[in-house]
Amino acid sequence: MADKAILYDSSKCTACKGCQVACKCWNDLPSPTGKNENVFSGSYQNPPDINGITRMIITLEEHDAPEGSLKPVAWAFNRRSCKHCADAGCVRVCPSGALSHDEETGFVRLERSKCIGCQYCSSACPFDVPRYEESGPLSQRTTVEKCTGCLDRVAEGMAPACVSTCQPNALRFGDRDEMIALAHERVAYLKERGFSDACVYGETEMGGLHVISVLKYGVEKHGEVVSPKMSPTVAMQEVMKPVTAIGTGLTVAGLAAMFALGVGYKRRTLAYNPDTQDTIDVNTGEVVKHGDGQDELSVKEHILENLPLGKGGRHE
Amino acid sequence: MTSHWCDFQNTDVILHCGSNSVENHPVSSKWLEKAHEQGARWIVVDPRYTRTAEMADVYCPIRSGTDIAFYGGMYRYIIENLIEPNRAKYLAGEEVPEYNFEYLLNYTNASYLLDPEFEFDPATGLFSGFDEQNKTYSNHSWHYQVESESTWDTSESGAYAWAAGEGVPEFTPPVVEHPKRDMTLSDPMCVYQQFKAHYDRYDIETVCSICGMDEKTLELVYSTYTSTAAVGKAGMVLYALGQTQHTYGAQNTRAMCIMQLLLGNIGVAGGGVNALRGEPNVQGATDMGMMVNEHPAYLKWPNTSDRSSLRAWLESQTYSDGYYTNKPKFLVSSLKEWFGQAATVENDYGYDWWPKVPKKPDYTMISSFELMQQGVIKGYFNWGMNPAHSAPNAGNVRRSMANLDWLVVADWVETESASFWKAPDMNPADIDTTVYFLPAALIYEKPGIILNSGRWMQYRYQAVDPWDQAKPDYEICDLLWREICRLYKEEGGANPDPILNTKWDYYVDGKIDPRPVAWALNGYRTGDSDFSQGKVDLLKGYSELGADGSTACAMWIYSGFWNNNDAPLDASKQPIGRRNNEDRSGIGLYSDWAFSWPSNRRILYNRASADLAGKPWNPEKKLVEWTGDAWNQIDQADFVAAKDGAAVPPDDKAFFMLWEQGARLESYGMEDGPLPEFFEPFESPVDSNPLNGAVSSPLARFTDYASVKKGDSADYPIIATTYSVTEHWQTGGQSRSCPALVEAMPDQFVEMSVELAAEKGIANGDKVRVFNNRGSVVVPALVTKRIKPFTVHGETVHQIGMTHHYSWAGVFGTRDTVNDLTPNVGDPNTQVPEYKAFLVEVEKA
Amino acid sequence: MNVTRRGFLKASGVAAASVVALDLTSKSKAFAAEPQNDWKLENTKEYTNICCYCAGGCGLLCSVRDGELINLEGDPDHPINQGGLCPKGATMSQLRNIVDPETHEMVKNPDRKTKPMVRRPGASEWEEISWEDAVKEIARNVKDTRDASFVESEDGLVVNRCNGIASLGGSQQNSEEEYLILKMMRSLGIVAIDNQARV
Repeated sequence: MADKAILYDSSKCTACKGCQVACKCWNDLPSPTGKNENVFSGSYQNPPDINGITRMIITLEEHDAPEGSLKPVAWAFNRRSCKHCADAGCVRVCPSGALSHDEETGFVRLERSKCIGCQYCSSACPFDVPRYEESGPLSQRTTVEKCTGCLDRVAEGMAPACVSTCQPNALRFGDRDEMIALAHERVAYLKERGFSDACVYGETEMGGLHVISVLKYGVEKHGEVVSPKMSPTVAMQEVMKPVTAIGTGLTVAGLAAMFALGVGYKRRTLAYNPDTQDTIDVNTGEVVKHGDGQDELSVKEHILENLPLGKGGRHE
Repeated sequence: MTSHWCDFQNTDVILHCGSNSVENHPVSSKWLEKAHEQGARWIVVDPRYTRTAEMADVYCPIRSGTDIAFYGGMYRYIIENLIEPNRAKYLAGEEVPEYNFEYLLNYTNASYLLDPEFEFDPATGLFSGFDEQNKTYSNHSWHYQVESESTWDTSESGAYAWAAGEGVPEFTPPVVEHPKRDMTLSDPMCVYQQFKAHYDRYDIETVCSICGMDEKTLELVYSTYTSTAAVGKAGMVLYALGQTQHTYGAQNTRAMCIMQLLLGNIGVAGGGVNALRGEPNVQGATDMGMMVNEHPAYLKWPNTSDRSSLRAWLESQTYSDGYYTNKPKFLVSSLKEWFGQAATVENDYGYDWWPKVPKKPDYTMISSFELMQQGVIKGYFNWGMNPAHSAPNAGNVRRSMANLDWLVVADWVETESASFWKAPDMNPADIDTTVYFLPAALIYEKPGIILNSGRWMQYRYQAVDPWDQAKPDYEICDLLWREICRLYKEEGGANPDPILNTKWDYYVDGKIDPRPVAWALNGYRTGDSDFSQGKVDLLKGYSELGADGSTACAMWIYSGFWNNNDAPLDASKQPIGRRNNEDRSGIGLYSDWAFSWPSNRRILYNRASADLAGKPWNPEKKLVEWTGDAWNQIDQADFVAAKDGAAVPPDDKAFFMLWEQGARLESYGMEDGPLPEFFEPFESPVDSNPLNGAVSSPLARFTDYASVKKGDSADYPIIATTYSVTEHWQTGGQSRSCPALVEAMPDQFVEMSVELAAEKGIANGDKVRVFNNRGSVVVPALVTKRIKPFTVHGETVHQIGMTHHYSWAGVFGTRDTVNDLTPNVGDPNTQVPEYKAFLVEVEKA
Repeated sequence: MNVTRRGFLKASGVAAASVVALDLTSKSKAFAAEPQNDWKLENTKEYTNICCYCAGGCGLLCSVRDGELINLEGDPDHPINQGGLCPKGATMSQLRNIVDPETHEMVKNPDRKTKPMVRRPGASEWEEISWEDAVKEIARNVKDTRDASFVESEDGLVVNRCNGIASLGGSQQNSEEEYLILKMMRSLGIVAIDNQARV
């Protein structure tokens, strides 16, 4: 099968958010349910960002209209979610194989059963996409959340839920080449209609995205990342991959390396060790919850045990 | 809608005025986008820059409530730029491709001569016939001059033989008046000349000064939209509550009709006057006539004046010509369905069992709360409606409801109406109302019929059982009705006859069932039908209806939607159940999908899509076409295409639902004037009207109720309007119970300009108090570039906009009630409240 | 209900037993319609319906398994919406069931009221009431109010009018229900009948 892509056309998008909630409904993602727990963002954009239970949002930005426009305002809409890079930093750094490229479509697959919550992917993503949040049952707090491309639907011959629900045909799904061609056609049309900054986004970025966007007012006005680049941490994290590939305690080892190199994550987050079934606070290294297979080793000991310099290392 | 959703793609110019359909009718975007992509121009006229405005090519801000000035200016523009420069040429036989004179002259009443006493006085803002004391009009002088008269031929071989048939109630048929016409449009009393004189005052400068518009933008709007006057071009206007919720809302609607008639845009593909209805089955409820003075299917309910007996009804309501000459058939068939065998010609088919609406007091929604305060109305049913939140001056509504003895609320969630006694400003201990909450089934927990805004009747199949003890409304009705009947049978009481003679036999296998009700709506022959035996002889369509008791039909306009006698209990085998989505027309009529009333017509008045000879104005998008010996009907003809098996050649009767069969630029049917005239809203920031001597409409309703507490612009200088967002719906009973929607829009807000926010020291997200004499609410501010102050008569005027979806009830999101601010005044034709323009003051909370 | 999650939990062997299901209300109960395999719509039956929000008339597909709604989305065959739905339409399944954020289980929507209730004069809370009693009491109230406010004739004209009762609503109901509501109210003699078309 040829690579697939989602085409997002900001000039047809009405920012209705049908896609945003259809994603939740198909994928059984919750929303906060406490009385008045949801807080108004001060704009139409709610929730203000993607998060551990929200895989995509529609963004809305108000700008002064471009010169020569018949209108006083430019209201730029965009779709914030995983862009399914061909050269995906998240896939490169993922030590557990939870993130991988789907061979059929080229989308970045997330298998939460394999995710160990290390969040390398989050730091590796130029679009700040994979999110990790302390919500939901504990068993799921140890994994990241991001758009899966509804590969279950795609496998059944359906479009992703966001695409299916789009009323103004701003979202399309199909062969990537075809989506790119449609995007260029649309940009030419928009330029004719006076949108001189209109552009196609995603054709070449990050080796080619699997979400192709038509941005009516240009990249910046839609709040899109200008010239996304592979995060420098990716290279460092990749160093860890042969190490972690050895086996036992691999995640924790990776984490330790990040601490050691001083580049890791500063967020207070939890990680999970599949061998010991322990849940670990990444920042303090404390085991916050012991799994069934209790072990007495501290995280630090795990780390040392698995570092190249330790007994599991290459000096053996 | 005169058209339907899929027809939007066929238009050349889209005009949104009083509608934000991309946000509030999101499916419209699919079809508007198709038109746009094919090159249609798109105009949005709205007080604020909406998500619809973002999609459009041209955005023209308008101060809330000034639409008639805007339309009046457009009429003047059309007359000045299209009609007057070309009229003589057209009359001399020259081609005038840029304006459709043939449509104006033949399909509208432009050429009809008005009564010589017809007059308008700009000094007072009044038309002839005003009764100062009662603040009402007599429409006598708004009628036409009569050229000649004729009468119905009711002889055995005559066209109206049925009217004298056995079993038909006695009535005197109306006299057909043939109006005097001047086809050169030069007689000073012809509608066109009176119209031209009337709107001569609406020049662009004056319009801009009233509406707070910029002249260049307005000219661009006018020139773009009036380009659809060209022969074969179509423009469509989309409107919603932004037009109707004014003290002159019905005149706003008239104004759009007139605009579309002047441009030849009614009856054509991609044209029409398209009311985007806001409730899932409000089209159905309107068809059903669930209003004080209405009877199902656009007939009038009995009253104590011109409809005080069956004979009076038939004589006052039956049209002299056109399709409504058949009204006696519709009414008698309705009575036969209502009272069954108890309805006979001897007892006027039970007409007097129906209650008669008095002249006074008014019983419409706004007045009903006054009647509660007066102790007249003591019991109240709320069927999926939530007035304690949605009705204007909602605080007054709650206080009124506290006078009820009992209240019954059938709904899905505990609405503000069900819990009005729990409102933050109410003390339950002081309220003696007994309140019943009856849990209703969701739409996919029961089967039934629903109509969309394009008049499509579609079937909902039950997917799952109602949760727990919830029941479908039809079952709730049945339980109540049977118990009420039992009480009256056993105990007697105030005249039980209307109750006990009511036919109520909608059961299948002994259980209440909506399908026999569908039979009643479609109509059946009374002779071979007996619902109690499961027997029905369904009518093919309304042409089979009689006025002699041989047929029964609750809703003549629906007839034909459920007409398959081979499977009367199977919706999927009825026209309503059709699911063929092939588009044979090529222009999205989808005539084989479901059923569109009347008679599966997709575009109303489609005779007007072709010229006098029956040749389509636009051969690419034709609806009907005279082929020389018959009508080629791409859409079902909305005119008499054949009679007694023979084709009826083309004539000028394009609007056969009116007795004159030509559409009305001037109409004697309105309560508040035969032509739309601009007035300020009831509460207005300005105290002068450059167009006439009256500031607000002299006929605005309910302005004398003490509860209204009119605000003065000195105290409340800011215009407020209310509206909805995509993520929520009405009072939020449904949408606020969906966590994903609460998350997607967790609050209501007040949108205000950067300028007003600066003046008041308000930052985005700040809590703001918005208040007037009726109430005070606190909401977060959304400070935006999308709203700008208006310059009105040289002064800066601020407008704010508020969403209104939240209130105290619900488990996920609760807030103040924005409708505590809106005024309980209304339109004299429709009694619809003025939610869309009123006065407030704002301050940082 | 949560197919992928359940599959995940099972496959990964992560202990889910320690997770306590936190009901949103004491009355809500988590339920699980166990899927046959990982495909969400496995063994579901489809029913078409029409949206309950604006009057677009968009078609819906309701997927049902073992009597429970598993999924609701736009009907791709429907000529108007062609499979699309706006945010309100797209979340329509939540009117019945929602995902509990604590447990990620599908539970009954706690905002939905599914039992008859009565609030007595002066009371500050609801009481539960049986359907039978509610219907009896309401019918009695209707009769009492009607009998007290009925006008059979006025100035020599038969008017058969009940002045004391009003009925509001109808645009939310199906057409058959609209007719039954109207018929009941008019036959009682009520003229104060209105619905959402008035606003």
